[in-house]
Amino acid sequence: MFFGLMPLIKMTILMINAIAILSEDRFLARIGWSTATPAEPQTFGMQQQIVANESIKAKTMNLISATRTLMRIPLIGINSLLIIYELLLG
Amino acid sequence: MQRGNYPPNTAASPPLHHPVPQHPVPIPVMHSPPPLQASSAYGSTYAPTPAMGHPAYGLLNDPTAQMAFQVGGRATEVAGQYVEQNLGKYLQISALKHYFNVSNGYVLQKLGLVLFPWRHRPWSRSGSQRTGASGQMEGYFLPPREDINSPDMYIPVMAFVTYILLSTLLYGLAGRFNPEQLGYTASFAFTIVILEIIIIKIGCYLLNINNDSQLLDLVAYSGYKFVGIIVTLTITTLGSKWLEYLVFGYTFNANAFFLLRSLKYVLLPDTTADNPRSTTYAVNRTQRNRRTQFLFLYSYLVQLIFMWSLSSGFSFRSAAA
Repeated sequence: MFFGLMPLIKMTILMINAIAILSEDRFLARIGWSTATPAEPQTFGMQQQIVANESIKAKTMNLISATRTLMRIPLIGINSLLIIYELLLG
Repeated sequence: MQRGNYPPNTAASPPLHHPVPQHPVPIPVMHSPPPLQASSAYGSTYAPTPAMGHPAYGLLNDPTAQMAFQVGGRATEVAGQYVEQNLGKYLQISALKHYFNVSNGYVLQKLGLVLFPWRHRPWSRSGSQRTGASGQMEGYFLPPREDINSPDMYIPVMAFVTYILLSTLLYGLAGRFNPEQLGYTASFAFTIVILEIIIIKIGCYLLNINNDSQLLDLVAYSGYKFVGIIVTLTITTLGSKWLEYLVFGYTFNANAFFLLRSLKYVLLPDTTADNPRSTTYAVNRTQRNRRTQFLFLYSYLVQLIFMWSLSSGFSFRSAAA
């Protein structure tokens, strides 16, 4: 049972993919995990302070929404790279 | 820092320079609050940007270009500082030297501590004060040479390499040596260490532990378990199944206890004054309980899974016996 570096990379990418495809209004809002408050640039510093004092659930929600906004476009490139790698060498 | 005395409107900038924006772009200041700043200072960071950007829009003659160029120069300056800070944050070359500042006595004592942590008494790292670069007194931790509780990188790195060589040797003793085994084992051990760091980082994020301890501390602590695994693997060659389980149980417990006590001062910083880098926020009771539970889970359950897979993930056991 060798679990090398490549499976780890693949696992991380798959996990990020899984987080990134969670639908905001069809799934997250239904179970109450939606970050409903839109962050305005002016109050961002204050809001971050509030979020930082909250619970594990709030932190998880924050992590999910951050992953969704941040990784959406890079994931396209990463996924296509991985597909090409798998086609050539897998 | 050293870009401060750089003339902002030199026409011939070095070719390695970041491309200078031609019109005022206030974004880089918003993007890069200094990582070590308190979050309450975020608002004040934004304030000067519109004041610098907006007059440039109104004037449409030569000073506009000057202004734009100055803003652009400032943007590159800030970006350069940002890159320097982040490089300094993630790639602490000078900090690595601190971790290898060990002596023979320290290594022997620390090995004894990892294998027999039950009677050790003060677990907190000792620090002292010195005059920092900015002229004010700053606290710092003593290097491993002078403090037994300080994490080092020497033992983890050596144990890591020894683990790879030893498990390959055991394959050889079982008559199934293959040069690929070296690479497989190294990759596997690396994966375990990285997974551990990921787990502890996610835990820190979720539990809101904003410690200023570096990543390298955690890497060092996750490497100490290779010492116990090496002992277990050495016992494997004797061929006795019961002795092997006994030794594994002992080394696992010792390592978990060691981690629990050591990480307590990394992850659960106390607010008393004897800690030189003491954080000043107050932690309420439930949060503290949660952190303790996470620490326990990490140092017992997660370590059990990882140590077991590291020491028995190979099939040489039955063949060597």
